[in-house]
Amino acid sequence: MTGRTAIYNARLLDPASGLDANGGILIENGLIADIGVMITKATVADVKIDAKGKALAPGLIDLRVKTGEPGAENKETLETAGDAAAAGGVTTFIVMPDTDPVLDSVALVDFIKRRADSVAKVKVLPTGGLTIDLDGAKMSEIGLIKQAGAAFFTNGDKPVEDAGVLRRAMSYAASFDVLVASRPDTPSLSKNTVMNAGAFAARLGLRGAPPEAEWIALARDLMLAETTGVRLLADCISTARSLEAVESARASGVKVSCSVAAYSLFFNELDVGDYLTYCKVQPPFRVEADRMALIDGLKRGAIDAVVSAHDPQPTEDKRLPIADAAYGAVGLETLLPALLSLVVREDVPLLAALKTITSGPADLLGLPQGRLAKGAPADLVLFDLTAPWACDRDDLSSRSKNSPFDGRKLEGKVLRTWVDGATVFERG
Amino acid sequence: MADYAFPHRHLLGIEGLNRLDIETLLELGDRYVELNRSRVKHANVLAGQTLVNLFFENSTRTQGSFEIAGRRLGADVVTMPIATSSVKKGETLIDTAMTLNAMRPDLLVIRHGSSGAVKLLSRKVDCAVINAGDGTHEHPTQALLDALTIRRRVGDIGGMRIAICGDILHSRVARSNVACLNVLGAEVRLIAPRTLTPPGAGDWGAKVFTDMREGLKGCDVVMMLRLQQERMDGAYLPSAREFFHFWGLDEEKLSHANPGAFIMHPGPMNRGVEIESGIADHKTRSLITEQVEMGVAIRMAVLETLARNAPEIGAPKAGGKNR
Repeated sequence: MTGRTAIYNARLLDPASGLDANGGILIENGLIADIGVMITKATVADVKIDAKGKALAPGLIDLRVKTGEPGAENKETLETAGDAAAAGGVTTFIVMPDTDPVLDSVALVDFIKRRADSVAKVKVLPTGGLTIDLDGAKMSEIGLIKQAGAAFFTNGDKPVEDAGVLRRAMSYAASFDVLVASRPDTPSLSKNTVMNAGAFAARLGLRGAPPEAEWIALARDLMLAETTGVRLLADCISTARSLEAVESARASGVKVSCSVAAYSLFFNELDVGDYLTYCKVQPPFRVEADRMALIDGLKRGAIDAVVSAHDPQPTEDKRLPIADAAYGAVGLETLLPALLSLVVREDVPLLAALKTITSGPADLLGLPQGRLAKGAPADLVLFDLTAPWACDRDDLSSRSKNSPFDGRKLEGKVLRTWVDGATVFERG
Repeated sequence: MADYAFPHRHLLGIEGLNRLDIETLLELGDRYVELNRSRVKHANVLAGQTLVNLFFENSTRTQGSFEIAGRRLGADVVTMPIATSSVKKGETLIDTAMTLNAMRPDLLVIRHGSSGAVKLLSRKVDCAVINAGDGTHEHPTQALLDALTIRRRVGDIGGMRIAICGDILHSRVARSNVACLNVLGAEVRLIAPRTLTPPGAGDWGAKVFTDMREGLKGCDVVMMLRLQQERMDGAYLPSAREFFHFWGLDEEKLSHANPGAFIMHPGPMNRGVEIESGIADHKTRSLITEQVEMGVAIRMAVLETLARNAPEIGAPKAGGKNR
């Protein structure tokens, strides 16, 4: 990308600096060269783009994405996930290690980086599996894999059940100051469940996952993070009590951050309604009080990152009796609209919502992007803050269409996405 | 100092020894180095005395070193084949001790896999007991031989910056060495991944590092520890190659220590895991074979010193308050 591009007449939104003002951005050599009111139609540039007063923010950073590559390319490839990301305004996403084979070695982490570089429109960073084959028994080569470029370490959706193994893995990881993510879950309580446990699940005749499956594992993770000194990301917490536990640990000095799946902020258990398999996810949609508590956390800035928890599943794995259907929902293209809808409907401050998908995750990983700053990569998203639309799964760019937002009305629409100053998506 | 009366009946650990105790042993050790380098290596100070080697854990070099030390001092040396003995037949540790005690040995050298086992035995016998390594607790003669090796090279250990690197958590050598070097006034550093750093190691009188380059900065001596194979299988460490990459001593990492820094290893070494071959064999800087030589000398010093302290022979005592 040579030459200068000026995007003018925009509403600039930068959560990192608290900026919310009209102005423009000048892009040079893929970087943000200048920002402010002085960037106008009159600015000298090779390409000039009139933003027509729409919102211009840092491209989104999504800390939790699964593709099917390698091993299940029928679900999603790095290329199709890249397309979906670009359409959703996501300019950087992190892939989970639960692929086939598992991302538990230098070679596989390196493979994802190279493969994504050549086929994906957006930036893709691999995670490293915390244990070999995610078996929860033997730690992976954390130091070497970090050097190979892993963004952080996680056992994905297979929690490390042995506390001794987790303690040693955390302790070892602390030697390298890496971030360890753990989605708190107790398989002995949540195995073979379909939705949140409770009266509604009982009425539907479905096995439910009790919230204590999350609480027990989270309490353990927080204690081990405290004693080992590791930086912990409590991944995809879904209940009020979990958020309380994270905040109280953080207040007492534990290096813990937390993420929440966008769907946990948008849906509650009642949305499973008529046995909708697209709503079968882990962690499950919880009760309304949990959803409200998480939204409150979002307003207070207590949630470090909101993630898409993108988990593509093809029709053959979803069009089944709900007990037999696969877990997971796609989310790359609905991450921003879901949050913008909360801004409209639940009075979440705009910058607070955007922070969890830009500078919040960027700061957790020490990335230069995720902010409108001179010298930062020109990863940008232009969007309409309030445009109403109805999500239709057939319009999604993902190879799999399993979206719980299918048929839902949303506010806010991505118009254009740039990665390193180059347009990677433009709504026709 | 030659007249200093070593005040201990046993040598169970470095813990509890003062500077004078240690220096007395080192000085005597120095003299035995000279003897060992002469053609006739005999001193008859232990003539007529019986030294029993009781190794509950396999050992080649320490057991051999004590045997040679005992023989050079003129003692009758017996090494009990524990692996095939009555211990295997179910005899308790205390019964074994009582049985041996009845044979009236004068010096008992014990290695045992459980921390504290040597101390337990010392309470049940009448002779002097020397700890040749108990579990992950202490290995005092190793620390003394290391101190002797360094001292002969640098003169005064006081003020030296000495790094101990590797599996500190499971190392009795590290525990004894930290205690010994501290008493002698060295600045001790421990360098290890967090999984192999004992909790509270920062309170041992040593500064703890995870980054080897940072830890080696300004060090005069680098002591590497042996990494047991079973630690490398994913529980404490992901792999031998990752350990070598971050904590194995190679030319590059060593360049962060002082120029000419000495290299030590208690052996046996895993070449290519905790130490690069070229460094282990370095002509001027590696003291590894010298450590083995000092081992015999310092054990002679220990045996002689404790034999001198033995009480008059009487009836075997009821046991209870030795030390």
